[in-house]
Amino acid sequence: MHLSLNPRQQAKHEEFKAFVSGNVEPYAEQWDREQVISESVLKLLAKAGYFGCSVPKDFGGQGWDTVTFGLLNEALGKASSSLTSFLTVQSMVSMTLLKWGTTEQKQKWLPPLASGEMIAAFALTEPGAGSHLQSLSTKLSGKGQHYVLNGTKKWISCVQHANLFLVFGKLEQHWVACLVPKDIAGVRVRPIFDLMGFRAAGLAEVEFTDVEVPAENLVGKPGFALSHVAPVGLQYGRISTACSGLGLLRGCFEESIAYAAERKIGARTVGEIGMIRSLIARMGTDLEAASLLCLRACQAQDEHLPEAFEKTLMAKYFSSRAAVSAASDAVQIRGASGCHGSSPVSRYYRDAKIMEIIEGTTQIHEELLGKMLSDRTRRSW
Amino acid sequence: MTTEKQIKETVKGFLLNSIHIPELDEDDNLFEMGIVNSLFAVQLMTFIEKTFAVEVEMDDLDIENFKSLNAAAAFVMKKNGFRNAEHSSVPLGQQTG
Repeated sequence: MHLSLNPRQQAKHEEFKAFVSGNVEPYAEQWDREQVISESVLKLLAKAGYFGCSVPKDFGGQGWDTVTFGLLNEALGKASSSLTSFLTVQSMVSMTLLKWGTTEQKQKWLPPLASGEMIAAFALTEPGAGSHLQSLSTKLSGKGQHYVLNGTKKWISCVQHANLFLVFGKLEQHWVACLVPKDIAGVRVRPIFDLMGFRAAGLAEVEFTDVEVPAENLVGKPGFALSHVAPVGLQYGRISTACSGLGLLRGCFEESIAYAAERKIGARTVGEIGMIRSLIARMGTDLEAASLLCLRACQAQDEHLPEAFEKTLMAKYFSSRAAVSAASDAVQIRGASGCHGSSPVSRYYRDAKIMEIIEGTTQIHEELLGKMLSDRTRRSW
Repeated sequence: MTTEKQIKETVKGFLLNSIHIPELDEDDNLFEMGIVNSLFAVQLMTFIEKTFAVEVEMDDLDIENFKSLNAAAAFVMKKNGFRNAEHSSVPLGQQTG
């Protein structure tokens, strides 16, 4: 992601790396082990303005471009996938609101989201509906000033810390999205622990029982929640995950070349062994490719190009798969020490696999991209 | 500046380059044809926003605005403040492709 950066982006990149070095890297293993992100680092993220990085200044955010957003995700992702997921989800909800919220909704909700005073969750997935969103069973009923929300969401990131949910469900025949504060009657959160990766990402199941949702909390028009509202959030989720995966990939690469240069087997370093060089060559090439794909996706988003969706799918698809491969090879290069928590590569290995699942599985990306590309028989490449 | 006819041609070009269909008439209903999934719906919206320098807002979320070439052209003209679309034109934003 580091090619073609302008001086401002370059300066921000240095700032992000320093932030991560001082505030994230030393604690990432502990958060993973204890399965919780410390409130203090969330406050530091808020103080630095990172929760509102993509939100315009008019609403209390930083108004940074998507390339800068990508750089922040990459820097955080290199140290802690769990912490990065807070940025992922905050951007998904904030940018959805920015696009489809009413003026009143933007004025009410965006400033606290941008400042980090509020932490958001994107409540889409259900116990019986992940990739196939048409199977969502959460329902809203009623008319007038309030709707009544019933349903269960599962595998929702950041819920343990969140105080605002963007919930997707059906109102009669129409798909709708609505904002639900956590402290409202009828909301019950059940934390999910013992995940393979993203162990400190605060996942939970959320049950909504006869929750009264004010009519003014509906986001977008009824009927467009899955076709127009959710895709805006998912686009930012995919950009964030692609760049976070790029960061993890960079972490694997740097750990591997450092270890290979230092560790000796007999008279030779590990890096002098041809088979290890093959692994490093593949990792380094994937790193370069993922970097370019992420940069292209972020730039296309900044230029508001329709191709941004395709490029983001490609970046997330490639980056997450390359991260899984690199993490596996990084463990292999380190051998036994790579299987222990004292090395970040064991955490990378567990976290990387999650990236192939969140914000659309690898197979969903193949389905979407395959159709998108094969339909373009007339397009000149 | 571009006319309603040019808007239709521009949108048609985008659609034919993006979706595997042989031809498209001005009143063909894109949604009834089953050729628009959710991702393509936001791609089409983004194309219209970028190309014609308009913003699709919450109140614009209506199938009637995007269901056909005629509907999309009328929507762009309306967003640019032209009521009499037949004889008016709108500024053309940066072309994308």
